[in-house]
Amino acid sequence: MKHRTPAFVAMIAAGALALTGCSGSSGDDGSDVSLQMVETLTNPARQKILKELIAGFEEENPGVTVELVSPPNEQALSTLQQMLQAGNGVDVLEVQDSTVGPFTANDWLYDMNSDLADWDGWDALTENAKSFANEEGPTYLVPYGFYGLSLFYRTDLIEEAGFDEPPHSWEDMIEMAEAINDPSANQYGYAFRGGTNGASNAAAIITAYAADEIDPENAFLLPDGSTVFATPEAEEAMTDYLDLFTNGSPPSSIAWGYPEMVQGFASGSTAFLLQDPEVIATIRDDSTLEEDQWSTTPLLVGPSGKAAQPLASAGWGVAESSEHKEEAVALVEYLSSGDAPLTFAKGNSLVPIVTAAQDDPYFAEGPWATYVSMNTDPDTYMNVVQPRAVEWWTEWEKKADRELQSMLLGESTPEDVLAGWDEYWSEKYASEK
Amino acid sequence: MTTTLPERQATPPAAPAGGPSRPPASRRRAFTRRRALTIAAFLAPAFVVVAVFTYYPMLSGSLGAFRTWTIYNVAEQPWTGLDNFRGVLTDPLFYGTVGNTIVWVIGSIVPQFVIGFALALWMRRKFRFRGIYQALVFFPWAVSGFLIGVLFRWMFNSEFGVINDLLMRSGIVDSPLPWLATPALAMPAVIIANVWYGVTFFAIMILAALQSVPDELYEASALDGAGKLRSFWHVTVPYIRTTLALTVLLRTIWIFNFPDLIFGMTGGGPGGRTHIVTSYMISITQQGEYGRASALGLIVMLVLAIFAVFYLLATREKKEAYR
Repeated sequence: MKHRTPAFVAMIAAGALALTGCSGSSGDDGSDVSLQMVETLTNPARQKILKELIAGFEEENPGVTVELVSPPNEQALSTLQQMLQAGNGVDVLEVQDSTVGPFTANDWLYDMNSDLADWDGWDALTENAKSFANEEGPTYLVPYGFYGLSLFYRTDLIEEAGFDEPPHSWEDMIEMAEAINDPSANQYGYAFRGGTNGASNAAAIITAYAADEIDPENAFLLPDGSTVFATPEAEEAMTDYLDLFTNGSPPSSIAWGYPEMVQGFASGSTAFLLQDPEVIATIRDDSTLEEDQWSTTPLLVGPSGKAAQPLASAGWGVAESSEHKEEAVALVEYLSSGDAPLTFAKGNSLVPIVTAAQDDPYFAEGPWATYVSMNTDPDTYMNVVQPRAVEWWTEWEKKADRELQSMLLGESTPEDVLAGWDEYWSEKYASEK
Repeated sequence: MTTTLPERQATPPAAPAGGPSRPPASRRRAFTRRRALTIAAFLAPAFVVVAVFTYYPMLSGSLGAFRTWTIYNVAEQPWTGLDNFRGVLTDPLFYGTVGNTIVWVIGSIVPQFVIGFALALWMRRKFRFRGIYQALVFFPWAVSGFLIGVLFRWMFNSEFGVINDLLMRSGIVDSPLPWLATPALAMPAVIIANVWYGVTFFAIMILAALQSVPDELYEASALDGAGKLRSFWHVTVPYIRTTLALTVLLRTIWIFNFPDLIFGMTGGGPGGRTHIVTSYMISITQQGEYGRASALGLIVMLVLAIFAVFYLLATREKKEAYR
């Protein structure tokens, strides 16, 4: 017995290890339903709100429990992909506009359209939300909110520079930024985005300049199928954009991503910042700026007097592999109707999905009013869809960021870059047909 | 703890009888089947873990290099032969990253080695609070590379960074340097961060080796009239040569495979000037092109294996020449 013990212990250990690796996680006992909900853009504040909303859902639906899975941000997407590929463990999931393409290509998402046919929540949704949820079907997600750009500006700095109102067009803003720009005093005009996702802001100016030409269903294309990058408007936009960088922005902003831009504006180094509404909270909480030193104004328009609002969104969807689709859809409905979407949008600084937001003082006053007012003037602030769901979107983002940086470094011209982008998108769409 | 007689008879001789006399049973336990089984059973968990979590994913990932394997269709992964490799080798960006990698590795390892060695020599002496000081020097090694990248990204920030502030206050530069926005400065900046991070590892390894050099050797060389420099070159260095060679080899491989810091600091920018091969590989993975990333990974492995073989041969030759 004496020598058997260590061998025995070791074998037990090995056996236990093997078993842990193999065991499944089926917890389906009795009539109670347990849903797994996976989020991919997580943070502690958001988790808290989600858990409160989930508690409300569980109260309304006795016998259903929801377990929220929140993998750390950097690994969230790959974790979710592995879970979906494994084919179990996910019932409700966060679907981003950039993941809906690959997820549906793999048949991972369930089309909720027929389940939502009698849903009374449709009427409360804004037009944008309805179009993102695709009321006609297939419905792979119901959005929980929108990210939208508006211009943050310094009221005191533009006044000192001799302007009496905030810029309305890109042209106005470039003029003001260049007037305010004074590198020797560490004072700059515009918080330029040259680093990660820099190309998304380049797309904002290009689509604003070409707003009259583009196809609102796909802002990168014209109705005839050619790309926006080949238009003379795009070239004009890109040339102005380079001018804004050279004469109105900090030279180091080639490397600026989200944190540097926000820091640049909040610290008072730059007078203008094009950003999402979530920055409102950051500037209020953590800035040297007084409340009367800054404000927001709608997205800048191009020479045609229009701007193309590239709404980015994400929402909740149901996994094709879910064994409790009925309950899962009920959870999506709960999160998308009543007070839940407003609570979620406020807590996460999102443009809300329900029309009731217009009557909510939180959204109707102060810096938030800009976002709501943009939504009430769709002729000027056209809602357009960027083709974020195409399979090559991530590849495009990386490529475009890199090439924009080379243009800012002076290694290529706006014409070169646009010609390359035109070729890229034309080839991609041609190969799809 | 002695084995019983019948068991020993049942067991074939454990090892060929090399010498005329075997050590007495009290000093060396007979290698019985039971004992072999026990050892195997104890090794099994480690073996299983390594096989399942290291070799299986590595093998299956390597096979991916020969398949069309993208996020857009995970279910179907048809074989494509060498297409992924062709894709990597015809990618103009790839060659830029190779050049960057060479600068990154050499630029990082030489200062790390020199400063690490100097720190180790210094910490070998006994002084007050040596323990605390050692702990402080080793601290960076415990921090994640990505986090260090983010910290240095702010330190090198042109407008708000402490580095420009120091340079301007001390009058070295007149206007802030756009460190991470200028191709010529971005690579030095990431290398400086990496040197700061990696010096520690050299200091730990070399200090451990230095502590193994017997004091008698220094006493003897002092008696023979050798000065500090001579005893360093002729006693210290030869004595710890193996550690030095292995540490440099390990670090070369690690620095090659260390995209964390670059990701946190520049994301490969500006214009791809700080992308090394492995950070580029990750960005291909992020695009969902797993097959092409696997192919690049295999190329990296092959290059590192060739490097390791040549490096070990070269350092061994030197050692023999000394004899």
